[in-house]
Amino acid sequence: MSSTAAKASPVHAEITAVGESAVRVEGRTGCSERDWLLAHQLAAHLHAGESAIYTGALPTYESVLVEFDAVATDIDSVIADLTAALPTLDLDEPLLADPQHFHVPVLYGAPGRSQEHEPGPDMTRVAELTGLSVEELIARHSEPRYVVRCLGAPGGSPMLDGPQLPVTVPRLPSPRPSVPQGAVSLAGRQATITPATAPGGWCVIGQTPLRVLDLDSDSLVPYRPGDTLEFYPIGPHEFRELEGQSMVSGVRS
Amino acid sequence: MAVVTDLGRLRGPRFGLPVNGALDQYSARAANILVGNHEADPLIEVTAFDAEFSPSVDVVVAVTGAEVELRVGGLERPSWEPVTVRAGERLQLQEITAGMRCYVAVHGSFDVPYLLGSCAPDSGVGFSAMLSPSTGVPLRSRGPAPVSDFWGISLFNLQALRPRVEEGAPVDVIDGPDSEEFKGTAQRLFAQPYTVSERSNHVGLRMHGGALPARISTEEKISRGVPIGAVEVPPGDELLVLHRGRGVTAGYPVLGVVTSTSLDTLGQVRPGQEIEFRPVEIAQARQDARAWRAELDALRQRTATAFDSLGLGEQYRHVDHRRSLTRATG
Repeated sequence: MSSTAAKASPVHAEITAVGESAVRVEGRTGCSERDWLLAHQLAAHLHAGESAIYTGALPTYESVLVEFDAVATDIDSVIADLTAALPTLDLDEPLLADPQHFHVPVLYGAPGRSQEHEPGPDMTRVAELTGLSVEELIARHSEPRYVVRCLGAPGGSPMLDGPQLPVTVPRLPSPRPSVPQGAVSLAGRQATITPATAPGGWCVIGQTPLRVLDLDSDSLVPYRPGDTLEFYPIGPHEFRELEGQSMVSGVRS
Repeated sequence: MAVVTDLGRLRGPRFGLPVNGALDQYSARAANILVGNHEADPLIEVTAFDAEFSPSVDVVVAVTGAEVELRVGGLERPSWEPVTVRAGERLQLQEITAGMRCYVAVHGSFDVPYLLGSCAPDSGVGFSAMLSPSTGVPLRSRGPAPVSDFWGISLFNLQALRPRVEEGAPVDVIDGPDSEEFKGTAQRLFAQPYTVSERSNHVGLRMHGGALPARISTEEKISRGVPIGAVEVPPGDELLVLHRGRGVTAGYPVLGVVTSTSLDTLGQVRPGQEIEFRPVEIAQARQDARAWRAELDALRQRTATAFDSLGLGEQYRHVDHRRSLTRATG
């Protein structure tokens, strides 16, 4: 199936049918940064139209899932439509004209703490897998300025590129039934913060005391794809002081 | 369990929230049509167990979805028809059979909190309008309800098409974008029936049956948008079919995608029940979705005619039906 509906467009994207009412558009520009821009700009283009035909566009790292009303249109028209839209995108423009930056305090996991209060239950596991010390891991994780690539599950998670590690850290063999809100985790080539308590299969290495999710806000979470954030380590005392504060841009708590 | 819900949060996925909403979209839409509401208006979803409601004013309601014994003031009344419930009378849904979920729409609908354009509960972020025995749900005020003692009598049989989910119900699946990753084993999906597990809910249905399709690679994939209806094979011995509460991003390959009309079927299957996957082409799935839409449009027409003949047409047309044309995909 993926081959029958697949189509290379002049701006190098592949469009694949995903059921009768969605397609996956994968950037094929040869550059992951441009693939990401393509996915998000195409999604913004579709949302800007607010057409009744396109019911959703879900951009992630290198692709966008475009959902449409299969009663009102059909997949061939959608592919033609999207193929026509692709060359109008300007992949040299930044995604946001005014990106915001967030400083995120993290109480990192430390060997020897009692499991009950351990903010990073997988820190030891990640250290063993990568051959790094806990200190080195913290340094690697809190070093980059991460771009929020997309908002993901659960509720508004900022999906980031993972820190530079010697090996790719796999997901847990079986997911945890409950990962608390504020958990700071990584897996594969990715990293994130969990805004709401949910099951999860990523390696949890720390916990932020900040409240990420706000159901009274129009955007639910303070960051948008294209904003940036960085982590910095804190101790248990600072954690208690900051616990429950809202995440806001520009300030280091 | 009863919740106030609607067709789902179409603006949710771009914020990382699942679309959620009624798991049997056809029945939810039909219930609202039968009482002259927008198809996307809030209504009550009752899952699996008996439920009872008592309005504080006269209302017109319609109950659709699973087969259920419906009583108003103790008297049996038809489901899939508008019926009048007088103030203080009891509306009882008893013994849900052949199905899992009933929809209760009230003319004028409910006044409930919204999040990103929808009242559908989201268990992930803790947004919900769960109904407990003492809760009252405020009705939107739209003037007097079009009550009539003629509702529900054979004269006004509106003949809504009622899907019936039998044992061994067919579930149509379109070949998925990542089916190559199950090379040689993808066809196992269609080799035998699957039994729906107790661990199934609005997020997804878990199923077991014979040999499962198997991934040929265990490579860590970067997260991508996940379609509603995605058929996945997580570690373990169960198949997972994601429904409207699914996490919007994940790194698992998508073996197949259940069609939108069959997602309604999955919204009505009970734990322990068997289903049979059936391979279909996109063209067939689209034809089924269009037939489903035509059925709802025709029901809208017949209901309007019935309201007219009782002199209540103004109250039916009072509703702006244009919004009803938007539809969640799946």
